Amino acid sequence: MKFRMRRLLFLAALLLAFLILTPYAIGYQIAFSDVVFTSGWLLFAIVLFLSSYNVRKKLTYPPLLKSSTWLQIHIYLGAASLVLFLFHTGGKIPAGNLDIALYTLFSLMVASGFFGLYLTRTIPATLSSRGNEVIFERIPMFRRQVKDRVEQIILQSVEESDSSILAEYYESYLMYFLSGPRNILGHLVRSERTSSRLRHELRGADRYLDARDKELASELLDLIKLKDDLDFHYARQGLLKLWLFFHIPMTLVLLMFLVAHIVLIYAFTGGAS
Amino acid sequence: MEEVSTPVRDRPKRWDLPFSMDFGNEAEQREMSLTQLNDLFSRKPFSEMDSSRFPASLPLESIVANDTRIRLYREGDTIVRQGDYGNSAFLILEGDCRAIIEGLDPSMLGRQSGQSKSLLKSVTGLFTNALAPEVRDSRLYPQHHEAPVFDPSGTVFVQDVPNILELSPNVYSEAKHNVIPEGSLFGELAALGRVQRSVTVVAAGPGTTTLLEIRWQGLRDLMKFDSALRDHINQLFRQNGLQGAFQTSPLIQAINLDEEQWDQLLAEAEFETFGSYDWHGTYQELRQRDGDLLTQEPVVQEEGHYPNGLLIVRAGFARMSRRHGAGEYTLGYLGKGDVHGIKELMHNVSSDDQSPIQTTLRAAGYTDVVRVPTRTFEQVIYPAIMKTWPDGNFPEKFLGERMERQKTAASPRRLSRRGDHRKEEFSGAPMMEFLAENRYINGTATMLIDLDRCTRCDDCVQACASGHNNNPRFIRHGETHDHYMIANACMHCADPVCMIGCPTGAIHRSEGGGEVVINDVTCIGCGTCANSCPYENIRLVNVRDKSQDDALMVDANKGKAVVKATKCDLCVEHHGGPACVRACPHDALTRADMSDLLGLSEWLNR
Repeated sequence: MKFRMRRLLFLAALLLAFLILTPYAIGYQIAFSDVVFTSGWLLFAIVLFLSSYNVRKKLTYPPLLKSSTWLQIHIYLGAASLVLFLFHTGGKIPAGNLDIALYTLFSLMVASGFFGLYLTRTIPATLSSRGNEVIFERIPMFRRQVKDRVEQIILQSVEESDSSILAEYYESYLMYFLSGPRNILGHLVRSERTSSRLRHELRGADRYLDARDKELASELLDLIKLKDDLDFHYARQGLLKLWLFFHIPMTLVLLMFLVAHIVLIYAFTGGAS
Repeated sequence: MEEVSTPVRDRPKRWDLPFSMDFGNEAEQREMSLTQLNDLFSRKPFSEMDSSRFPASLPLESIVANDTRIRLYREGDTIVRQGDYGNSAFLILEGDCRAIIEGLDPSMLGRQSGQSKSLLKSVTGLFTNALAPEVRDSRLYPQHHEAPVFDPSGTVFVQDVPNILELSPNVYSEAKHNVIPEGSLFGELAALGRVQRSVTVVAAGPGTTTLLEIRWQGLRDLMKFDSALRDHINQLFRQNGLQGAFQTSPLIQAINLDEEQWDQLLAEAEFETFGSYDWHGTYQELRQRDGDLLTQEPVVQEEGHYPNGLLIVRAGFARMSRRHGAGEYTLGYLGKGDVHGIKELMHNVSSDDQSPIQTTLRAAGYTDVVRVPTRTFEQVIYPAIMKTWPDGNFPEKFLGERMERQKTAASPRRLSRRGDHRKEEFSGAPMMEFLAENRYINGTATMLIDLDRCTRCDDCVQACASGHNNNPRFIRHGETHDHYMIANACMHCADPVCMIGCPTGAIHRSEGGGEVVINDVTCIGCGTCANSCPYENIRLVNVRDKSQDDALMVDANKGKAVVKATKCDLCVEHHGGPACVRACPHDALTRADMSDLLGLSEWLNR
């Protein structure tokens, strides 16, 4: 099935659900029935179902639908839960510390969900269009290899030519650049300022280099590009992993607050009439 | 300055290593003695061969001395296994053999039973997976029950048939079998045609059965210069293989030939082989060389030439290309059962304006084709097509799906004119080029990852590991084209070259879906499969013993680590299909059958 068609199907299903549920909600309100309890329980059920996606991810067996189908349901049901949440709260910020915390948690949860959706739909294409495909866990190893090669080049330069220009360049600029992931925030906004400055400095020194150093400097330029690409992948792949460290643990906190909210509501109002 | 070179050694030549010395086991290596050679030349068919017909560069004596070897088998030993791929034929010198057509349990041939795990076992497995890598239960390995068996010739049989016969004394009565008498040749069709052995053959004694094993290169040369052998094998092929080859073509199946037409077709069809049988060995080397790989592939039928017959691919793959500027671009590829040249032949029968062949067909590695000569096509196939479809317009599906690409694949020029790049480019000529060039066309379950959707979350790797005792069976890494990656996962090839030469039959096709799987119990870790796999998708691992606190397993006699071959098994033991596909949250991963180009095209252009 084409993605476009799948999107249309899910949107149609969502619309259908709203078309069915809205008259019910209006009808209950007209009948002075307390729909807040119904919407509350429905919202709780949805949150519970949404959080079960992480459990499904861990359970490879039994084969319970494809993970991608779960994610689609997760996305559209998550969006629907926002509408239900606004209906449940009446669009107002509640009073009381617990309810305010719950309100904030839910809002952050939904926001992080949409943020994650944005990241997962935009970052992969930027990764496949720059540098070589690299496994996140192997990036430090490749970074070390680049660093080792650069250091070899600098030693070669010192040994084979009288000039110390490349060695000075290494000490002033490259050593820091190579010692770890750099320009992380810049890479998140696709800025190449750091590596561009490094290359600019090296090209600027070109007229002071002898033939052998020029050869080595040319290889250095390639290695700077390589290291920058590794940092780019590190920053962006890292962000793709990091947002889940926010989204998933917050689910558990939200569930705890929800349970407390339900207990308190039933303790102080006597439950639904 | 002129480069100075020093000769270090002779250039490698064909017979540097005679077949009789080509054994992993040193005990079996022995050159053919003069007495043995003289004995061979006193027997049929060698006694009837005219050595003067052989060229000086390929003398008959050298072929026999270098491309054959004598093998001794005890009564009941397995010589060839049904379903295996082999590269040699056998001539029975002394004793009889039995061909067991059906009735043998797969486990008797060193294979898995094909039973999948229960759902409960799959689920509980998630919680009981080992913490250390590659942990095995050594109690399942046969060496814990008995020492490996050595036969007088020094051959090791891990899964030897005498034991099976002892376990099942009435195996012969249960299994359907035929006796192959002394002096017979068998296994030649599987060796020459690169198809699976159709029967299991065991030595039937009495006593030791002596066989002459002839490797396929030698057999090919003997056939080339000895017309009697050629006619004999052609005759065998016509009797046993040709009709089967025709049956693989959807077109021939659809046109309902009568008995007389079949007889004419079988009598006049020719079979031809292009490319190298050992393509997997030379393919990596070819790729390292500069230049276009396409031009190094042997031409089967050339664009612009007279259509001298209808070609039906019997085994292997062929690349279909068309001239474009100074080069050629790949339109698609053909596999088993696909046909080439039919449109031109159909056109030429009904028109005075004769059309030459429109696309070049090249052997992508190795291609075995059946050629129906133009005259036979006009007399047999054309009338049958017109009888089935009176307007002559037969559905494209009868050409095989790959052939449909010829119609739908646009030339690069048309693509740019159409301006619909996104839709076409992912499954257009560059993608075909990439798939054919890297021989990914061989895959029936190739792991394809859309890098524009993949978030590198590794859920696929984790799911794979959880189904395999915490050991992932693939690496999320591999060759990329545009934003698609072919990951290092077993492709379950249509032509599984990894199965050639497995000494125990541990690597085999599963009973149910035909997945290429390894029986861990009978794998001896020799690495033949891993070395043969052109895609580097089989890994050898040191295994650990569950009963010894996950300590590395070591061979008690030699002190060497016990090694096993591992690879993706498409989760054949579990329910629900490959875990990697089910685990991908972003629909970025699929297992693509490269013979289904339309399905592939749909996936690429979602």
